[in-house]
Amino acid sequence: MFFLKQLKHTITLHPRFFGPDMEEFVKTKLYQDVEGTCTGRYGYIITVVQVVSISKGKLIPGLGSAEFVVVYQAIVFKPFKNEVLDGVVKNVNKMGFFVDVGPLSVFVSSHTIPSDMRFDPNGNPPCYQSEDQTIEKGGAIRLKIIGLKTEPTDIRAIGTIKEDYLGIIA
Amino acid sequence: MSDDEAYGYDGAMVEEEPETYYSDDANPEQEVAAEAEVITDGNGKLTEQKERITTPYMTKYERAKILGTRALQLSMNAPPMVEIEGETDAFQIALKELREKKIPFLIRRNLPDGAFEVWSVRELIIE
Repeated sequence: MFFLKQLKHTITLHPRFFGPDMEEFVKTKLYQDVEGTCTGRYGYIITVVQVVSISKGKLIPGLGSAEFVVVYQAIVFKPFKNEVLDGVVKNVNKMGFFVDVGPLSVFVSSHTIPSDMRFDPNGNPPCYQSEDQTIEKGGAIRLKIIGLKTEPTDIRAIGTIKEDYLGIIA
Repeated sequence: MSDDEAYGYDGAMVEEEPETYYSDDANPEQEVAAEAEVITDGNGKLTEQKERITTPYMTKYERAKILGTRALQLSMNAPPMVEIEGETDAFQIALKELREKKIPFLIRRNLPDGAFEVWSVRELIIE
């Protein structure tokens, strides 16, 4: 699910960036530091929407650099258990297949694929096949997340398509 | 702001003051009024003193810390706030900046009860 979240980030600025454009440097650095990163707690930070405030700089003793606390609003993507998501198949093998849901990579095991779908290792590209459906690299998939593992800088997910209305979407 | 700041010899902490970086024509009285507002850092521990009671003179410790920090910044390519007339030594430029009261710092004087006062280098009396 996507959220609009107010977050805080501390930026250390080297003295060579001091001067009238300091605020711009802080903002640029914020975008570089924060966008595209992932925290276990808030999920993926997709984009910074707004910079709410930049504190006065605090000098770090002995370093000459200044520290700025920046409060910003960002769009974050945090997946939940039982959430239904759409994604694109990235990789297919005999154990299952990987689906990219934006920045998140979800593994769908062969146990959570409908039993009438069989792995075809000789296909080009390798695919899962039933009588009327084919799952292969590049295909659009609707899946449900059944398990999540959050690590400090990463989120891993496993999904299922063994339910009604899940699987290949046209 | 966090409380885990490192303190100077006399508990003074140097703060960068981006707002007044290049505005030399700011009315000093207005600035003092603005700085005298009570602020808390969220956990309510540090509170800015409403009326400032510490000395209006810059202590020798503050002077040393300011000059040292500023010279370090200048040596790391920070843009100087004064006209350079052939000086190449960062410390000489820092001295000149202090003489002309152009050092863009705020000094936080922490008091024993956890409160603090903020003085800008510009308003401190240098002897």
